[in-house]
Amino acid sequence: MTTHPTTPAAQAAPCAGARWQGNSVSDIRRRMVDRVATALCWAATVLVLLMLFSILFVLVRNGVGGLRWVTFVHVTLPPGQAGGLANAIVGSLIQTGLAVLIGAPVGLLVGIYLAEFTATDGKLINFVRFVSDLLLSAPSILVGLFIYMIVVVPSGHFSGLAGALALSMLVVPVVVRTTEDMLRLVPLAMREAAIALGAPRWRMILFVCLRAAREGVATGILLALARVSGETAPLLFTSLGNMNWSMAPGKPMASLPVTIYQYAGAAYADWTALAWTGALLITAAILMINITVRLGLGRNRK
Amino acid sequence: MTVAQNDAAPAAISVRNLDFYYGAHHALKNISIDFPQGQVTGMIGPSGCGKSTLLRVLNRMYDLYPGQRATGEVIFDGCNIIGPKVNLNVLRSRVGMVFQKPTPFPMSIYDNIAFGVRLHERLDRAAMEARVEDVLRRVALWPEVRDRLRDSAAALSGGQQQRLCIARTIATRPEVVLLDEPTSALDPVSTARIEELLDELKADFTIAIVTHNLQQAARCADQVAFFYMGEVVEVDSADRMFTTPREKRTQDYITGRFG
Repeated sequence: MTTHPTTPAAQAAPCAGARWQGNSVSDIRRRMVDRVATALCWAATVLVLLMLFSILFVLVRNGVGGLRWVTFVHVTLPPGQAGGLANAIVGSLIQTGLAVLIGAPVGLLVGIYLAEFTATDGKLINFVRFVSDLLLSAPSILVGLFIYMIVVVPSGHFSGLAGALALSMLVVPVVVRTTEDMLRLVPLAMREAAIALGAPRWRMILFVCLRAAREGVATGILLALARVSGETAPLLFTSLGNMNWSMAPGKPMASLPVTIYQYAGAAYADWTALAWTGALLITAAILMINITVRLGLGRNRK
Repeated sequence: MTVAQNDAAPAAISVRNLDFYYGAHHALKNISIDFPQGQVTGMIGPSGCGKSTLLRVLNRMYDLYPGQRATGEVIFDGCNIIGPKVNLNVLRSRVGMVFQKPTPFPMSIYDNIAFGVRLHERLDRAAMEARVEDVLRRVALWPEVRDRLRDSAAALSGGQQQRLCIARTIATRPEVVLLDEPTSALDPVSTARIEELLDELKADFTIAIVTHNLQQAARCADQVAFFYMGEVVEVDSADRMFTTPREKRTQDYITGRFG
């Protein structure tokens, strides 16, 4: 490496002369506004982080005591009998799993329709997208009532399947939105390249577009899973809850959120403790799903 | 319009009285031009003059977009391909296309090529491997990728990706290859390699290439067509077009007075 002699300017004093100082009124004002805005941003960020961490802290403090073997292997029992959450955990897994199995394919197909069939009928496309967005923000208790009316009442009893159906209605709009958004990111040139090889449209969509968007689409499905795994309201009128061990989807089924809802308001200390543990379990699961999504996206960007 | 009758080669594609519309916009106005078999036809002209539009008529790419329509005749293998009863998938396997930007599919190098072949032929494993190797050799990509056929095509450089796209197009064994500014996104070295490649490919394929690079047209094309405002102003051999153009507009364009 060659060294260059320092210039006279570099040896001179730092930039502090009169012409370096912005002392005009507008300049001072600009700097003040900048500082105030920066401070507000920091304050808001700290506030949000504080809320988040205080929730996590309280959850861990109150819930960690219940993370015992018996909680995972024993079903819910009357107060004072050292029950667990096994039926609620398994019920939640079954219902959210079924909800994704039912809702994700429907959401995928609708998302493909919205993104790929734009040429067919603009009005219908816009209407479908509008309805899907409405569903995205619909109060989840209404979804529960809807399934209650069309499934629970005609069949005459609550069931895990009805709960899964209610949850699947919340899965659909999330998957629709992410699928459409991700497919729209696939460059037009890539579609044309597939068509130019003589590929029929369905092969172009399935094997080129969906493949190009697969990480994003999978992310959407995971986010939908995270979204419904904490839902309580849609399950109250559908799967109801079940104090006993039951894996039959045709019968009432326990779930973590409903169990938390029932236990948290109870007057028994052991039930309240289990509610905290259940809440910790759900939060940890959702956190894990989100971390998976992050890792997946990070790998995708490389 | 001035059309010099091309020497001996019969036309692979004959365009007669073609009009093309993007909705109400009349983009091609009564165009007639022949693409002689086994030759490279270069299409030049300022942006928006209709040369890419013509290319997209030749494989019916415009069919993807409602509101775009063509009238007239485009005769390929005895059939008017802009007529109603054309199997577009078959047409596109016979008239391949390479785009401005490389468009590798999100799959392995091998699968990029096999994707197109599988659409039209059932080959056993050995035959498919032979086909993949053959086309990769023809685009001079084989030595660079032979050890990583299963790797993602996205990891290739831009020039390599474009050669892969050409390999993918010729793997379906088309009779005509359309290239829409295939080197405008590439560096000079990659461009030179693709131009060499065109020279070898024309032994087996009829080639139509749209380019903004007049030197490229002069280097690669046997026949050159000058487009202006949706019309074909002049079609002639590359030699005559760049030395003694007959139309004033052609002369103005190739001497850089506009465009």
